Amino acid sequence: MGLRDILTGRHQVTGPAPDRLFAIATAYVTLQAEHQIDPAGTAAIVFQALATSEFESTLRDTEEVVKATCGDSGTTVKTEDDSYGYRWMILHNAPGTPSVEDLAVGLNAVSSSIETAGHGERLLAAVFAFVDAQKRRIYFIYNYKRGFWYPFVPDPDNSQQRLTERELQLKAQMGSELPMEPELERWFPLWGIPI
Amino acid sequence: MLLTLFLLGLLYVVFIGVLFAAGAGAGIIVAVALVLLLVQLFASDKIAMATLGVKEVSPAEEPELHGIIERLCVQADLPKPRVCVMETSMPNAFAMGRTRKSTTVCATRGILELLSPPELEGVLAHELTHVINRDVMVMTLAGFFASLAALILQFAFFFGGGANSEEGEEDIILVVIASAVVYTVSFLLMRALSRYREFAADRGGAVLTGRPSALASALIKVTGTMERVPSQDLRSAESLSAFFIVPARAKKSLYNLFADHPPLEQRLAALERLESQLQSAV
Repeated sequence: MGLRDILTGRHQVTGPAPDRLFAIATAYVTLQAEHQIDPAGTAAIVFQALATSEFESTLRDTEEVVKATCGDSGTTVKTEDDSYGYRWMILHNAPGTPSVEDLAVGLNAVSSSIETAGHGERLLAAVFAFVDAQKRRIYFIYNYKRGFWYPFVPDPDNSQQRLTERELQLKAQMGSELPMEPELERWFPLWGIPI
Repeated sequence: MLLTLFLLGLLYVVFIGVLFAAGAGAGIIVAVALVLLLVQLFASDKIAMATLGVKEVSPAEEPELHGIIERLCVQADLPKPRVCVMETSMPNAFAMGRTRKSTTVCATRGILELLSPPELEGVLAHELTHVINRDVMVMTLAGFFASLAALILQFAFFFGGGANSEEGEEDIILVVIASAVVYTVSFLLMRALSRYREFAADRGGAVLTGRPSALASALIKVTGTMERVPSQDLRSAESLSAFFIVPARAKKSLYNLFADHPPLEQRLAALERLESQLQSAV
């Protein structure tokens, strides 16, 4: 943001950073093989849904595209609004055959069709769900604005608490495979992830 | 609030003028002005927090507020600010802090209870836009330059005019009048600047959430309640008015020229234009 923007008080909403979503499609192999963290077979993308008919029709088209892209492998799509007014598009692999590649391809189809429609700045995050050896949910969140990943491990026993130690371990374990968000204050939690 | 602020500032300038006329060196005066500026820039948020009974809240205490702010921060690509709540029934919100890294966003209990989540999100996006636009910094610096302008004028009087070695009563009066005039003009300009920044923040906030109408509806709700709030509450909260989303006063009068926020109708009209642009965009 330049001096001129500061003086006039005008700024644009940041658009998506260069895409590093597909880093997860290779990183999960390490997660599974070395750290016993298995894909849960589900992923989601969260964005601000504009209340315009044009945006709604973009979303309908998007859903069709995703179904066409992932339908062969049995991946299903559903849409959900959360209490903050954000829209989630949730992808489920066919039961028993989790495939992170399929999910990444599907989410990429969603994000690119939203970007093509000129609403790239509405994309917030993509979330991939994993399960560790203790059956705890582990999420890897991809921040579209920053193009970085970070782990998010909600505490199963306390609501609104996260297991920071575990997250930092994951950062150390996966730092070489996933482009991790370097600023810890940007590891924003997403409570109530519907996957 | 307006008169107080005006008189306080006037007093400050007059005081420095008198100091100067009484023989204090120019260096001392500039130093005093600089110290005041630094205090304002670095400590005003802490002073305000201490005097207003603003307290920081954890995500566990206010999950919804934190959730909304976190998502807006992702959307605006900002680091997370400190989140505070002020225990008063008056519905309002404000942002403090000079940089993106050291920001405090504060909402009153009243606004948390009054607004629906999308409306609250609109209000918080407005406040975060102040942070993005560095409005606290801009306004503080603009205020500093206004004071400096007054000082420079005083210098001009002393060194540009018939530089007598003996200062008489008349000189002092002249200095005081001149600085008062400069101060009055810069005060009006500051107000105009503030109104402009408010429009910019409305716009930026609405663009950030993609829901101009939610912010408009929040403004209507908040002002509707503001006018019914007893004035005693208002007075105790007056000193922060410049950073509030809606100024803390309930009078309708000749404030247009002096107001630090634009009138509600104009803000609503601007948001309505934004919404129709959004709806018709292909």
